[in-house]
Amino acid sequence: MTLLALDTSTAWASVALYDGRAVLAETTWHAQRRHGDELFPTIERMLTDARLSLAADIDRVAVASGPGSFTGLRVAIAAAQGIARGAGAALVGVSTLDVLAYPHAPSKQRTCALLPAGRTEWYAAIYQERNRKWLRRSPYIAATLPQLCRQIGTHTLFVGEIDEEAEQLLRDLLGPKALFASPASRMRRAGYLAELGWRALEAAPQTKLGEIEPIYVKQPSIRMTFDQPFSPAPTDDLALGLPKRS
Amino acid sequence: MRILAIETSCDETGVAVVDDGRHIISNVVASQLAHQDTGGIVPEVAAREHLRSLDAITQTALREAGVELRGVDAVAATVGPGLIGCLLVGANYARGLALSAGLPFVGVNHLEGHVYANWLYEGVVAPREPELPAIVLVVSGAHSDLVLMEAHRRFRPLGRTIDDAAGEAFDKVARLLGLGFPGGPLIEKAAKSGDPNAFPLPRATVSDRYDFSFSGLKTAVQRLVRSLEAKGEVPVNDVAASFQKAITETLAEKTARAAAEHAVDTVLLGGGVAANLALREEIAKRIGRPLVVPPPRLCTDNGAMIGAAAFFVLRHRGTEIPTTVRSDLKLA
Ligand SMILES: [Zn+2]
Repeated sequence: MTLLALDTSTAWASVALYDGRAVLAETTWHAQRRHGDELFPTIERMLTDARLSLAADIDRVAVASGPGSFTGLRVAIAAAQGIARGAGAALVGVSTLDVLAYPHAPSKQRTCALLPAGRTEWYAAIYQERNRKWLRRSPYIAATLPQLCRQIGTHTLFVGEIDEEAEQLLRDLLGPKALFASPASRMRRAGYLAELGWRALEAAPQTKLGEIEPIYVKQPSIRMTFDQPFSPAPTDDLALGLPKRS
Repeated sequence: MRILAIETSCDETGVAVVDDGRHIISNVVASQLAHQDTGGIVPEVAAREHLRSLDAITQTALREAGVELRGVDAVAATVGPGLIGCLLVGANYARGLALSAGLPFVGVNHLEGHVYANWLYEGVVAPREPELPAIVLVVSGAHSDLVLMEAHRRFRPLGRTIDDAAGEAFDKVARLLGLGFPGGPLIEKAAKSGDPNAFPLPRATVSDRYDFSFSGLKTAVQRLVRSLEAKGEVPVNDVAASFQKAITETLAEKTARAAAEHAVDTVLLGGGVAANLALREEIAKRIGRPLVVPPPRLCTDNGAMIGAAAFFVLRHRGTEIPTTVRSDLKLA
């Protein structure tokens, strides 16, 4: 049993192979806007190196479902749907922000995952451990950094594609409460997506292929406002289901 | 050879199964209704709709054909020209299907699809193939191309629009007349009960070349509607008929002239505007013989035409099979 993980949510793309115990292969690259051209050659190269065939070996597919670049999200989701359909594999969508925050769970730090949403806006979600469970504590939102910081009361670890300017603005807005993961550890890697996807498929049978929908957050024409910042209150359904730490 | 073909370049999600580039086994087209309210296609909305429906429509097309994915020989998809976000959905889904099922993927030029729609048939008996060389007029909301097709997959562009596409002109005039969207079929319907000689409108010719220009005609209709409004009620049907006459005469005149100049017996049509009966009649009249044109449902965007073109790509491949999505792909 092998899972193929695909993520083209932003200018950074990543693909990985995972067998439930180990990441067999992983490629993360700066695709800019060339995902459409580079995704399949990269998948094929990775499969060849791992001596695996899509048709014979891949029975699970996990795809990063956003939020992120609208077009980028659709590239990976369409590809994942086609692959899952052709290979008869189970498919699961995992939020791109969940993937970003997940490796920081052991830090027990309140974590905010950020991805650029165009102009001055950012996609964001807040994560925190509660009752020994790593939980998303907010909906997926699109907001400017000042709007976002109004919701941040305590020390928070920022991860994601945060450029220098954004990092400085967060430091200005939050002072010592703003903590930053190191450049490499704040990036997205499909190995983590694979782990989360694998776990989701163990917990629940696959959803229908057509039901994997991108998390757009923003409408094509109607601008998302920040009126209801962190409501509705997240339920336990939002838990990422990390095993309880002893 | 049996090809599963996917078309998502604009606002139609089309999937078809086609045998040997000609015989339609199934052809499912879902027209997106989301654009009727906006009076035009919002690319982001179109791309979202494609992703939402493509897998289900593909399943329907396979089911209607009575074949499984394992039973086809190749998977094809449009790789351009078109709306980039829409093209990427169809192409990536198709590549995923192809790779995971161990099938070749064939990227198809949408304009070649419109050309090869002329090779398609649905019944049991195959009609004769169009003879080459041919003059091809591809007219739709996105393109207005006049092409000399010397042989299979050998195209010599003769002219194209220097401003609006023919279908855009239909859409804009329909909006001016308050008819709605899309404009082509609505203008045609209104024109049926109108007088095509009610109002003289310019025949926008661009020197003696084969290029088209429709913005002058559009402006003339705009001015006409304004002055009619000032006088009272606008005779919508008469304006629609006069406009349709002007635009079809322009298209037909150049098409017939190209056929004469290149001593070509075959004239082929494609694209949504080619579904317009007045245009078909006008061209037939000018070339002096009946036209062989695809039925209207094969003129508008559909998967079968991509399946037809993909077959000829495989049969007459000069170079590598294209896979790269390009929004500005041309016929060459
Ligand atoms: Zn078209």
